Amino acid sequence: MPEETPRPNIVLWSLLLAALPAWLGLDAVSVAPNRIVPGSGHSAAEVAGLPGLVASLVPALAVLWLAWRPTRERLRLALGLVVAMLAALPAWLALAAAELVDPALPQARMGIGGGVWVGLFLLLLALIELRTRLTLSRPLGWALLLVPLASLALCLSLWLEPLALRREYAGRSQQFLAAIGEHLLLVGSAVGLSLVIGVGLALAMRRWPRARELGFAVLNFLQTIPSLALFGLLLAPLAWLSARVDWLAALGVSGIGWAPALLALVGYSLLPMVRNTYVALEEVDPGVVDAARGMGMSRGQVFRQVRLPLALPVILEGIRITSVQAIGLTAVAALIGAGGLGTFIFQGLGQAAMDLVLLGALPILVMALAADALLGALTDLLRPGGAT
Amino acid sequence: MSEAIAKARAGRAWWVPAVWGALLLAACLGMGALEGLFRWVEPDSRAVIYARADFLTLLGRHLLVVGVAALAAVAIGVGAAVAVTRRAGRDFLPLVAQLASIGQTFPPVAVLALAVPVLGFGTLPIIVALLLYGLLPIVRNTLAGIEGIDPGVREAARGMGMTGGQLLRQVELPLAAPVILAGIRTSVTINIATAAIGATVGASNLGDPIISGIVNGNTAYVLQGALLIGLLALTVDSVFARLQPAGPR
Repeated sequence: MPEETPRPNIVLWSLLLAALPAWLGLDAVSVAPNRIVPGSGHSAAEVAGLPGLVASLVPALAVLWLAWRPTRERLRLALGLVVAMLAALPAWLALAAAELVDPALPQARMGIGGGVWVGLFLLLLALIELRTRLTLSRPLGWALLLVPLASLALCLSLWLEPLALRREYAGRSQQFLAAIGEHLLLVGSAVGLSLVIGVGLALAMRRWPRARELGFAVLNFLQTIPSLALFGLLLAPLAWLSARVDWLAALGVSGIGWAPALLALVGYSLLPMVRNTYVALEEVDPGVVDAARGMGMSRGQVFRQVRLPLALPVILEGIRITSVQAIGLTAVAALIGAGGLGTFIFQGLGQAAMDLVLLGALPILVMALAADALLGALTDLLRPGGAT
Repeated sequence: MSEAIAKARAGRAWWVPAVWGALLLAACLGMGALEGLFRWVEPDSRAVIYARADFLTLLGRHLLVVGVAALAAVAIGVGAAVAVTRRAGRDFLPLVAQLASIGQTFPPVAVLALAVPVLGFGTLPIIVALLLYGLLPIVRNTLAGIEGIDPGVREAARGMGMTGGQLLRQVELPLAAPVILAGIRTSVTINIATAAIGATVGASNLGDPIISGIVNGNTAYVLQGALLIGLLALTVDSVFARLQPAGPR
């Protein structure tokens, strides 16, 4: 509701007032001479000196001032400042690397400290808040993130060589790319397979309503079994099968590896897929179908030209849920030797190498968010053409 | 139709969780009796029954971690959702709602993995990670439940002279309860699974036999852990199914 003199935006105030002590009090970075020695923390003041520290606070204070009387113009300005601060974070790390990392030590590595992580998190929340207040569209919100991402890419390629995360990557860039490939392949084939099977099951359930309750009961049951347990339970039967059936063994099916992972992923993906497809086909307005029949369309035509296009957004929603879920579950599948980015997570946890854990976890996070955003956007794109 | 109702009623009887629970306890106590079966699965290993810890102890630890995280998540999650739907906290509503929906995109494993660098190895980091992740479905469903109440109902309650606190306790929370319960169910189901993965970061629970079985190539251990976690998940889920009023999830 538009007001004459808007009240202060207490959300932005809370976020920034939480960010300031974290920025000042927590470690900005930690520096270690090599991979084994634990790093020693350095505060923001050590990174930039006192004048630099004060300078780093200026944009945050400016946002506080703007949020006190949040008119639309001022919020837009604040949004620009928040994006600029996000873009400055990689540059801040580059500054820290130049100041604190001894160039004489080729193995020296710099970890990102709590202050920077908390700052990043709270700035992202501020960005979400501003995007909501300014009622910006979702794609525009994502586009705003491109600026900090470009800055990160630039800093990574030019100055951030000592960053521990980059050091871990440099040591295994081939493996990393292969892992991303495996991860995407598993997720893609699981989603593809479950889409085919799921649509088939949903159609069968529409034809034979008696099968419906049983079908959903089985799928619900599957969804309840924890992933680690399901992977484990598939291990023995698959090992047994591959020992008995030659062509399965020739395909590379065994108790560990991609076979149990793919089976379990498809099992978990079926419930959201079938549920959404079923609901989508069921909820098409009967009037529309009647009208189409009245125009002389055959049953097949009605299905292809009326029901399917109208149901498509809801089915896509099912694909979105399934993909996001499968990206996370594939990480667990690394435990049974299916490869993928989870390998780095569990290797890192085993070696207590936290940067290696990050190298696995961050891309998974990015993948899940990207899949969610892309498929969400696609759903929105298809929706205005359909009913409601 | 009557068949469907009978089925729904049967699904809501206490004997379902009781049977699953009894099976779980029996499996914990009597795993040794199945030695012959496991020997058949794993003929080459010296030991076929996981013996590093008592199954009942592992179950207890699993339940403790999930239970503590769930209780805290319910308290904080419902509290936060109620706070941002009051007039004083309204300003925070869009941010909290967005955060709860974006956060659900995060894979639980990634959350667990990210919690370790910050909090270290052991049981506490797992509880915190489960708590944080478990908050999201609870917050989202509580918000949906409270926001979904017909404004006319609220109006009528106010017209009857109810105070804000009475409105919350006697109208809003009871009406939103089924949706909130569904959120808690989702949260607990995910947490039972994630806690098992927590065995890789030093929490000892029912995930232990699985991890140890995978590491040592002992399928029998894996099966024992998987069986117990599966039974635990089904027991807890059937308790929620019993508590939840009939209707679509």
